[in-house]
Amino acid sequence: MTDAGSALAEDRSEEPAEPERKGKREIWIFYWLFGVFYTALSVGVCLLGRATPPPRPDVTELQAVAWFDKHQMGIQVGFVFLLVIAGGAAISNGIIGYFMKRMSSGKMLAYAYIAAMGVGAIPGFQVLLVCWLTATFRPDRDPDVMYLLYDLGMLSYNGSLGCFTAAYIVVAIAILYDKNRIFPKWFAYVTIWQVVTEVLASQMWLHHSGAFAWNGMITLYIALVVFGLWIVCFLALFRKAAAAETARTPALYELEGTR
Amino acid sequence: MTAPGRDLPATAQSSPPVRERSLPGGVDMWVMVLGDLFFFGCYFVTYMVFRALSVEEFSASQRHLNVGIGVTNTVVLLTSSLFAALAVIAVREGALRNARRLLLATGACGVLFTLLKVYEWHSEISRGHTIHDEFFGFYYVFTGVHLVHLALGLLILGIAVRELHDSRGRRPAIVEQSVLFWHMIDLLWVVIFALLYLMR
Amino acid sequence: MTRLPAAPLLQRDKLTVLIVWAALSAATVLAWLLAPGESPSATNLDKELVVAVVALGLIKCRLIIRYFMEVRHAPRGLQIATDGWLAVVWLALLGIYLT
Repeated sequence: MTDAGSALAEDRSEEPAEPERKGKREIWIFYWLFGVFYTALSVGVCLLGRATPPPRPDVTELQAVAWFDKHQMGIQVGFVFLLVIAGGAAISNGIIGYFMKRMSSGKMLAYAYIAAMGVGAIPGFQVLLVCWLTATFRPDRDPDVMYLLYDLGMLSYNGSLGCFTAAYIVVAIAILYDKNRIFPKWFAYVTIWQVVTEVLASQMWLHHSGAFAWNGMITLYIALVVFGLWIVCFLALFRKAAAAETARTPALYELEGTR
Repeated sequence: MTAPGRDLPATAQSSPPVRERSLPGGVDMWVMVLGDLFFFGCYFVTYMVFRALSVEEFSASQRHLNVGIGVTNTVVLLTSSLFAALAVIAVREGALRNARRLLLATGACGVLFTLLKVYEWHSEISRGHTIHDEFFGFYYVFTGVHLVHLALGLLILGIAVRELHDSRGRRPAIVEQSVLFWHMIDLLWVVIFALLYLMR
Repeated sequence: MTRLPAAPLLQRDKLTVLIVWAALSAATVLAWLLAPGESPSATNLDKELVVAVVALGLIKCRLIIRYFMEVRHAPRGLQIATDGWLAVVWLALLGIYLT
């Protein structure tokens, strides 16, 4: 591995005498949208929707109904808001895809990432919102149905496996193969932890209590720490990657006639 | 990525035989290793807490494990690490053919470990020890995640071997990295072995 | 980054890793013999035996980190970090086991 410090020094020496404005405006706008969306997601899911930390998996149907009744307001406010801004997921995936297309590892990985994350948002995000919103907006329904919605929302939210693992594997491969050094290689390994914790979390389908249930230490809390770490690293690296672009950075797209 | 040492082949001989402090394997792989150690540490402590909550059940289940296979697997993995460490030294000596052979031997030990592990899983499952037993839930998760790491390690070793084949792109740094990852697999297994098989 | 170590140093390294490997294997077998319920002369010294198993595990881990992962030549910060991990994890495991 080359010394990161010397590489930085090299970059600095190549800068022109009069420094250009760092970054492109649209990149910065998307960067901030990314940050705002993930903050809103955390607030909506954790504080208002009460999906994290999750309710107990080992309850009876009446306890599930009582739980919905207790948190009706928060779920309705938080999840309706999240449904409205659900498109933020597309923007967040888009900016990651943009940087992946800057990598030398090929555009196909960027498309694969965007597609996998887009499909993954349905079980990992929309199904939870719709299930719990249905339960809170139709509180007069059969407790058994409410119980099903309680389980379905949570299992879908935490057990949405294949798409996200595929997306993370694609990111890791792209970073490891990239020669433009858009993102540092260690971030690929952080991404691999994401894959492993996602796979581990899928066991919550089998357990009703203990470390591997949906509120389990290993399946949820450690996985959550990994995800939080991943997002924080991602935001920090975005900042760097966005700042590395100048007005002189070539555009990703060429006009039809110039090809 | 440039190879450490490749820039200074001439000065290497003239330098006094004193070793300077360096980061073997590079920063990126160490982020992986330290992070992995941290998260596995969390898993281990979680296991121990759950074990403390029902000591008798865990202890009884632990006695169903075949310690013989565990010891064999530990020695197999330690031997693979020995080969890996020797491979790094061989690369530093410039004995690339030798290094390649040692890396292949490392990988072969890894495959042997996997086969033994699969046999062990098979015999445990056929005796009815599935994840419905809380201890075996942890057992399958820990050994499973470890095996995933081992598979990844085999892949990385493969990349390093290919790197040594290529006469242009000989990058000892890749070998150091892959071997560092391999030692981490060994390290984690030593803890898992003591935790699941011996501390009962 | 690294300068290639001279040949005598490499020869010594080879010997070192061989010795470390032998020590690790011996410690593994020893820990097996010590593990509670393994020896025929079953005693109620289980806790003491587990302390020994933990001590052996700690030593093995440190040998792997220091000699195989070459942390003995690494910057001080890494040495402190790995030693800290070893101490925290093994002491936590032993502490929870004994309580």
